[in-house]
Amino acid sequence: VSATSSPLLRPEHLAMMDRGVSAIVGSCSRALVPSVMRAVGYRVVAEGAEVMVYLARSQSRQLLQDVADTGRVSVVFSEPFSHVTVQLKSARARVVPIPSQVEAELARYRLAMEHEVGKVGFPPTFVQAMLRHDMDDLVAVHLLTDVAFDQTPGPHAGQVIGRANGAEP
Amino acid sequence: MTLPLSALRACFEGAIPSMMTTCAIDGTPNVAYISQVFCVDDGHVALSFQFFNKTRQNILANPRATVLLLHPVTAQFFRLHLRYLRTESSGPVFESMKAQLAGIASHAGMDGVFRLLGSDIYEVLQVEEVGEPALPDTPARCSRLGLLRQAAQRLSACVSLEQLLDTCLDVLGQSLGMAHAMVLMLDPITQRLYTVASHGYDRSGVGSEIALGDGVIGVAARERTPVRISHMNSAYLYSKALRNSMQPAAGAPQQLAEIPYPGLLAPHSQLAVPIVSGDCLRGVLFVESPLDLQFTFEDEDALVVIAAHLGAAIDHLRDVPAPAEGAAAEGAHKAPPARQHAAVDGPPLRIRRYASNNSIFVGDEYLIKGVAGAILWRLLREYRQHGRTEFTNRELRLDPTLGLPDISDNLEARLVLLQRRLREYGPHLRLEKCGRGRLRLEVGRPLDLVEVAG
Repeated sequence: VSATSSPLLRPEHLAMMDRGVSAIVGSCSRALVPSVMRAVGYRVVAEGAEVMVYLARSQSRQLLQDVADTGRVSVVFSEPFSHVTVQLKSARARVVPIPSQVEAELARYRLAMEHEVGKVGFPPTFVQAMLRHDMDDLVAVHLLTDVAFDQTPGPHAGQVIGRANGAEP
Repeated sequence: MTLPLSALRACFEGAIPSMMTTCAIDGTPNVAYISQVFCVDDGHVALSFQFFNKTRQNILANPRATVLLLHPVTAQFFRLHLRYLRTESSGPVFESMKAQLAGIASHAGMDGVFRLLGSDIYEVLQVEEVGEPALPDTPARCSRLGLLRQAAQRLSACVSLEQLLDTCLDVLGQSLGMAHAMVLMLDPITQRLYTVASHGYDRSGVGSEIALGDGVIGVAARERTPVRISHMNSAYLYSKALRNSMQPAAGAPQQLAEIPYPGLLAPHSQLAVPIVSGDCLRGVLFVESPLDLQFTFEDEDALVVIAAHLGAAIDHLRDVPAPAEGAAAEGAHKAPPARQHAAVDGPPLRIRRYASNNSIFVGDEYLIKGVAGAILWRLLREYRQHGRTEFTNRELRLDPTLGLPDISDNLEARLVLLQRRLREYGPHLRLEKCGRGRLRLEVGRPLDLVEVAG
């Protein structure tokens, strides 16, 4: 992975993503029909230059097909309570097996989400149900971030936070 | 599997924001939170258009969108596969969404950021169920239909408008647990709504007025659509707007001819449903609560049913000829005996009428205005000049000086308003029914009637 010359994401965004927040994954078919699903966990690498999102295959068939066909993916990370939101876009995404030893990572994510979603009034049982999955059903989408956008509702929504080297403006 | 949209109504309550993916012409997907998914009918939804953003650009260039919904109780996911049709920036769907969004914004701490620019109408191509429900759904309030049955039976049995209004409020309070409620009627002359019945407030507010378009009540009336807010916010502090909407009466500059709006000072949930009959707006049925999230779509359903029944019953009761107005049935309904009244004595009761708007003041206290004021003034003059105390609805209906707009005017609603205002005023002046289509004026003190020009 080539390092970026300027940071893709500001420290506060990275801190938010490291805490474990909502992650929604979108793609699009060659016929320009969009697809979408919530991730059950994710891993941020190299300050956001590289991300792996974990999805339940049975809930995401079209999305996975679209990523495999087009390599395009967008992932929105959002903190429910503060509404701080970041979107990463990539045209360099692929479907890969989940890493080994991912269970602890998924459990940490679930606990973080129980805390985050709890702040807006939903009990841990609801979060557990929302993120439920069979390990055998999990798959990952690996992406190299091209562009990161600020998507927090307000005046800066839609502004570019950072681009990867070589990514077209 | 394709589900009807109605199976997803809990997902549209705004408890959990939905996620929307659109796609640019170059194939780049975009994921965005969407504050509001509004069910228009079983084939269409409306999404809130709040910002000129990438989602907006995308759907204008490529109308396909996919929305991920999460059921707020079962945690089951659904996907809506959509095609953008058009944007509406006025009308019932827009106004309902605008009010609802204000509540969502308040709850989300996004006052001033969330603003509805338009309602984007989408055709629903497919409703996709994703997996199974993970948690049991809240048991339906199974008796709701049974309660509506009882309500319909009780409303159908009413033989007067006053009884109908009281029964309606009783049904709301006792059966549906809606402790703060009002019925407002439309005055077709002034195009304002006046409170004709209420319960659950410190004062009844009967006679207080609201302009069309003001607050949830005025918007529900103007757009003829239910308006429901689950979290009130400061921008939509409707009760304040309602209070401000009351204008001083022309011709009575020294004394405000107004009755205070009775609503809660700090409402958190409100629901207003228009009362419509045929193509005519009759009024608004309104409930509110000091707590958040008190009215669900099921409460809205129930209120719409009751309001529909009210509309039909109001028209039916108006159209049924009262025996006193008809020919032979005079004896069928015996007038109740006159209330034993203290002799007419004591200091004279000074009653002023401002001709410009028929506002009536008893002493220094504002009583009523408009057509109801004109009716009272006519009765008082007849009493003073001829000693008459009994009157018929028919003679009022036929009196051209009262300014009743036409045959469709709801004289009964104005009489109920007048009766209730007099009861609230005190014991010296009463107007009571004394048989169907008949009224009795009861006067406890000598009258000093003063006409004020202008």
